[in-house]
Amino acid sequence: MNMPLSPLIHLIDDDDAVRDSLALLIGTVGLRVQTWRDPQVFLAEFDRQSIGVIVLDVRMPGISGLTVLDQLKSQGADQPVIMLTGHGNVDLCRRAFKSGAAEFLEKPVNDELLLETLQNGVRLHVQSRQRVEGDRQARARYAQLSEREREVLGLIVAGLTNKEMGRVLSVSPRTVETHRANLFDKLEAESLAQLIRQYAALVDEQATP
Amino acid sequence: MHAALKRHGVWMIAWGLLSLLGAVLLARNALQQEREAFETNARIAHRLLSQQVVQHDAVLATLALLDANDDSAHPEQRLPSVYPHMLSVQRRARAVLWPDAHLQTLDAQSRQLGHGLLVQTDFAQGRYELMLGALPASYLLKIDIRSMVPWREWPMAPNQGPVRVALVYGGQAFDLQPGRQVPADAPGWHFDFHKVLASPSQPFEMVAQRHVAWGELPWLWMLAWSVLAAALLRMMWVLVRQRDDRHRAEELLRLGQVARLNTLGELAAGMAHELNQPLTAVLANTQAASRLLDDDAPDMQAVRHAMTQAVGQSRRAAEVVGRLRRLVEQPASTQPLQAVSLGDAARKSLYLMEPELKRQQVVVTLKASDVPCWVLADAVALDQIVHNLLMNAAQAMQTTSKAERRLTVAVEPTHSQARLLVQDQGPGIPAEALSRIFEPFFTTREGGLGLGLSLCETLAMGMGGTLSAKNRTPHGAEFCLTLPLAEPTAAAL
Repeated sequence: MNMPLSPLIHLIDDDDAVRDSLALLIGTVGLRVQTWRDPQVFLAEFDRQSIGVIVLDVRMPGISGLTVLDQLKSQGADQPVIMLTGHGNVDLCRRAFKSGAAEFLEKPVNDELLLETLQNGVRLHVQSRQRVEGDRQARARYAQLSEREREVLGLIVAGLTNKEMGRVLSVSPRTVETHRANLFDKLEAESLAQLIRQYAALVDEQATP
Repeated sequence: MHAALKRHGVWMIAWGLLSLLGAVLLARNALQQEREAFETNARIAHRLLSQQVVQHDAVLATLALLDANDDSAHPEQRLPSVYPHMLSVQRRARAVLWPDAHLQTLDAQSRQLGHGLLVQTDFAQGRYELMLGALPASYLLKIDIRSMVPWREWPMAPNQGPVRVALVYGGQAFDLQPGRQVPADAPGWHFDFHKVLASPSQPFEMVAQRHVAWGELPWLWMLAWSVLAAALLRMMWVLVRQRDDRHRAEELLRLGQVARLNTLGELAAGMAHELNQPLTAVLANTQAASRLLDDDAPDMQAVRHAMTQAVGQSRRAAEVVGRLRRLVEQPASTQPLQAVSLGDAARKSLYLMEPELKRQQVVVTLKASDVPCWVLADAVALDQIVHNLLMNAAQAMQTTSKAERRLTVAVEPTHSQARLLVQDQGPGIPAEALSRIFEPFFTTREGGLGLGLSLCETLAMGMGGTLSAKNRTPHGAEFCLTLPLAEPTAAAL
């Protein structure tokens, strides 16, 4: 698992006082904070691999927080984005959520609400990264299977017994048994239930390209 | 001129068409009347002349009959003295021959036909001779045309009239009246009348001619019509423009309200941002400090820094508020006060709000004397106050039953001041709200900003006046705007 040591919060606000004070506040719960004054510099330089949350001010000179949000999403950044605004209205809020914001908070923001939201965001991001990682590993293992083993896996997922599989594939149930054992080995599956849970989606994906 | 033509083109064209149409109708009518008069006159003239020539036949026939009895008496010799147009009468008994053969032949022919015959026509002299061949004697009558016309009954003025009347026979013509001489191809209209006189013995053709020149058309009437049309169109134009002006004024008013709301929204958004930034920093710093102090070994350096930051940001917030005040606050007495008619201001606001009031079915009563009540005021501020008070009154009556929706505006001068009262029939002002109604941001209305009355009071005080509110019995509210009179002594004493 290629995970950074601890989550990193990116804080983007053009106002020095707001940025520093929020950074100080976030720091009190032990989260690492990287502050950015210029949204353009942030977009160009921030570490997309890092685990963490992005906190964006809506109203900034030159470029609106909503535009930054749109660019982040179109570039495939997967960090949850929390929007901060001084004058939230329903319209702005709806636009932010439509663009993929995770939360929408009003300034001045209460410490508990902000910190809880950040921690929630971090947790969600970790989970999503883990899901992605697990998925990637499953694909790597699946790639090791031979053509025949993939066929057998497909029939297992479809719920056929060894005997039935033998008939379908015109081989003896014994041979099916061998394939099955190899397949469990390669996919590092400990039970039939785990095998189906992890790989059913991949089998479907292969069957209907 | 070009621009004017472009701007008023439609009106100009309409005027031109209207004038032209009127002129054509007037001319047609005039020509029709002229023609009818001409034909009537010509017919009368023809009848009179016919009667006259028939009389000649009758005279000759009578003579011939009388002659049968008495050969010696010569009554015909007395005729010229009775009828001046009969110049002479000649008698030839059966045995006596006419001096020339031509007469003799005519005599025979006449006797055969049984009626008189023309002997000779001398239209150059205005004379002709008529012969009746009969037994025992034939007669020759010499007639003067001009004096045979019964001028007393003649329908036209013989010498000044425009109509030419002539008798035509055998290539000769005798003008009874010359009329106006015009060449045949003269521009204008020609009327003609031709008819042969009703006597077989004197088949003269009566010809009447009349020429109407362009100059005789009723130009004065046409001009008058054109001027009238111009006046009518001008009146319409003024009405249309008044209507347009009114629409425009309403539109401007509406736009003004929208613009004000937009500006206000923008102001609020800007203010929120400007204030929220330092407030965010203050909150975050103090909360961070408080969290740091909860640690087992608090980092006092960091806490101090956070508190210093919080103090700085609080000052920043205060500065924002101060800056905003300076920005919005209008320096007092920049607008010079001038004499404004309070009644006119009320009328103007009511006029502008008329559609709105009508829509809400509010009945308006204005109690203002015709003598203008001049107060010292800034006209724009005064308009704004009156407009706001009227709006408030109308809105207050939205829950009132429709029959009760009465709005009274009264203008009354007191000693050195004048009062404008706006009274509504709404539910009135709740007792607890009455003392706070002029405070900024105080409102009893859902979605109201609570700035209208506060602004009105500020404006009234700026002009040296006051604005007060009270409840009426049994219900309704009354707002009273007091302003100093422009000339206190004149109105008070």
